[in-house]
Amino acid sequence: MFETGRICMKTAGREAGKYCVVVNKIDKEFVLITGPKIVTNVRRRKCNVKHLEPIPLKIAISKNASDEEIIKAFEKEGVYSKLKLKKPTAEEIKLAKEAEEKRKKKEEQKGTEEKTKEKKGKPEIEKRTAEKKPKKKTEQKKPKEKKAPKKSATKKLKK
Amino acid sequence: MPKPSQRTSVKKVKVKVPSGTLKTYLRKKRNKPAVCGVCGKPLSGVPNLNALKMRTIAKTKKRPERPFGGNLCSSCMRNKIKRRLFESFS
Repeated sequence: MFETGRICMKTAGREAGKYCVVVNKIDKEFVLITGPKIVTNVRRRKCNVKHLEPIPLKIAISKNASDEEIIKAFEKEGVYSKLKLKKPTAEEIKLAKEAEEKRKKKEEQKGTEEKTKEKKGKPEIEKRTAEKKPKKKTEQKKPKEKKAPKKSATKKLKK
Repeated sequence: MPKPSQRTSVKKVKVKVPSGTLKTYLRKKRNKPAVCGVCGKPLSGVPNLNALKMRTIAKTKKRPERPFGGNLCSSCMRNKIKRRLFESFS
């Protein structure tokens, strides 16, 4: 039922109530989707099959197709009029491409920075445990020696 | 006992003191938790605070981020979206 090219609507999450297209199958439960982001504001990510509701509409695309090919296939089948969606202009498609490439570069840079930070963090923890000095044992107090009781002077007087 | 000109809605509690007498203490008022508009179950993601704090915290901390966020529970929201789909395509 959920094949490549099937159009569905999301029923759960922050993107609920929006249309999307199935691009690839991952598992029994999971599926890769996009609505192209320009058209429906749904990102390219995996989704559970239980959170999707299929529609009697289908388009012809290949596996792991890009957003541009999906937009061309939308025009052929006349999806914009049936689902009441806006057609994106050529300028918007260009801007979206450039923004995606920028985002991918930033993610790669962040990934390398995180790896260097992890290495610095580990030796610091090991140093701290070695610097701890063992606690000194306190010397046991010697018990006080009991003094012999003094003889009272009054007893002598009584005699 | 407050002055008659300063009587606000207050909860009165009678407590027995160790000396043996009864004293009335005045307790502050607390809100009831928010509730789903359809089924009546308590909502998750909505904090139960007084009016002053609800005014000062950010908007994203008062409701979950999805359609009908602080209004309907998740299961009632899904039923509503499915019903819209079936009616539009039938």
